[in-house]
Amino acid sequence: MNMQDLSKKIYRLGIGCLILLMVSCQKDYYVYQIDDQTVLPVNSQKIKPKSVSQYISILYTNFFQRAISPNSMLGAQKAIESIGDKQVAFDILLSKYMNDPKVIIPSKEEMLKDPEAFIRATYKRFLVREPTEAELNWMLNYIKSRPNVTPEHFYFGFGTCNEHFHY
Amino acid sequence: MNRRKFIKKSAVVAAGSIGVPYLLPTGVLFAQQAPMMAKHVVFVQFAGGLRQQESVLQRYLAGSQNEQIEGNIMYNLLDGAPPTDKIAYGIDDVKNNIVGAFPINPILQTSLQRQGVLFPEVRFSKGSAGHFNGLSTGVSGNYYTTSGLRQRTASPTIFEYLRKHAGFKATDCWSVANTLTGSRSLLNYSDHKDYGRRFAGNFIAPTVTFGAPGKEHFMDFKNYHPDTDYEMFREIRGFLNQNFTNEGLEIPHLYNTPEEENNIREFVRQTFEKVKQGKIITPPVSDNGDLITLGYTVELLRWFKPRLTIVDLSNIDVCHGNFTAYLKNVHRADHGIAFLWKEIQAIPEMRNNTIMIVMPEHGRDEENNSIKDLNDWFAFDHSGSPNARRIFTMMVGPGVDANLKRGSEQSPLGDASDIVPTIADIFGIKETVYRAGLLDGSARSLFDRI
Repeated sequence: MNMQDLSKKIYRLGIGCLILLMVSCQKDYYVYQIDDQTVLPVNSQKIKPKSVSQYISILYTNFFQRAISPNSMLGAQKAIESIGDKQVAFDILLSKYMNDPKVIIPSKEEMLKDPEAFIRATYKRFLVREPTEAELNWMLNYIKSRPNVTPEHFYFGFGTCNEHFHY
Repeated sequence: MNRRKFIKKSAVVAAGSIGVPYLLPTGVLFAQQAPMMAKHVVFVQFAGGLRQQESVLQRYLAGSQNEQIEGNIMYNLLDGAPPTDKIAYGIDDVKNNIVGAFPINPILQTSLQRQGVLFPEVRFSKGSAGHFNGLSTGVSGNYYTTSGLRQRTASPTIFEYLRKHAGFKATDCWSVANTLTGSRSLLNYSDHKDYGRRFAGNFIAPTVTFGAPGKEHFMDFKNYHPDTDYEMFREIRGFLNQNFTNEGLEIPHLYNTPEEENNIREFVRQTFEKVKQGKIITPPVSDNGDLITLGYTVELLRWFKPRLTIVDLSNIDVCHGNFTAYLKNVHRADHGIAFLWKEIQAIPEMRNNTIMIVMPEHGRDEENNSIKDLNDWFAFDHSGSPNARRIFTMMVGPGVDANLKRGSEQSPLGDASDIVPTIADIFGIKETVYRAGLLDGSARSLFDRI
């Protein structure tokens, strides 16, 4: 066999392999008809600020487990309006509530007995949702790392945070 | 280096350092344009609609009730002898049942007119002569032809200019209101996109904060430790806020720092203690809301030593239906402003370092309405009449000429929009404020008008 015949055979073999490759089995791709989804944070639906009266009403109910009276609501609204910085005003109002013996807050023992249940219940109570895993872990770590933290600190933080002011 | 060269170089460096721009905490580049004239400014909006006839013109009943009795019932502010007949503006003579029979003793030995500059004929030149419009012009240096209540000013307030361009803290700036009515709680910042809440001044309506609503909902609030308890509140709240990703959706706070927030809460707590002990300072006569508000304003000045305080009065608005009560409240506003000035001089940090400006937000009509009071005196409203656009402006303090009068009825000088550039001038940012281009076209610093 001369060199010319050998080149022709190699050429034919190459063509044959290419054809085989083209008609060989292919992996099946399954399409399940799933649309692209934008993943948003769990609280992204809350885009409207509460009115001061809505905020006070919900805050009061969360801390006393009963509705605020209309007269008391009117007075609280005026008191809040009389201070420009609403974060400061809400802090003072809630500090006043915290001095009321009728305020309903779990004990520290209850919190330490089952921290996860406490955090989940606090999220549901104030933010009307479950915590994400990241949030839950942060809160549980916070309880572990801060021996002096009490349910009151959590309730204060949740009661005066931005998410609690929106719906 | 010889002595002459050293002095020369030092002078050059010192002069240069005054003009060298620096970055404010707000991220804005700031170059002091002119030296400050005073460290503090107190601006009293003598609000409620004050007629020239009963104020600078000193016509008492002659300008309103067809009774030829003239006289000055604002003798702390203005030079001039008080009326000698039909005295009805003072304290009631309960024994003999005579309303307003005893004029209140003057507080100042030298009138503010004699201590400072008086522009007796200033104009509220545009827009409707309504209280909120007038107050809005006073704080923003612009007019609002169509602006209604429950709406913040479209142009920035002087608080925002000072916080953005002069680096003032939030607690350096206070808007103090006599009442919550008439949207007064909206005067501490504007809706302007380049300014707004980020640069707001603080606001308080002390007769509400420390009155019945505040006593029920604020007084004796739990005293959390600012370093331990609040640190945990802020850590938990901060984490929650960080996870609330909807941008811009926050509790409408005023960007007070944590230290400033602590300071405001402590002011509220300590003031309540004074309320309980009956130790709130008040003017010698304090039988209306304006005077009580001015007392609380002094408490606020003593606590914060603000750079800018704007306080508005409102009791003279009874003139819509009771001219006698109007006269009494005009007389009391004069008494209260004199008390405020006297108390400012008793605060070491503010003494001789504060300029006070006094201006009514607008006037009232020349023609009376049909309502008569117990003295059979007619009442007056405020429409858009020329008389309702006549006001005065007074300025007193360091660097302000004494006993100077500028303008007259024949030759009015000054505009209601002048106060913002004037305050900007005092604090050395006048050119920046002008350059922002958001003032009314007629607004000028009163110092330039002099």
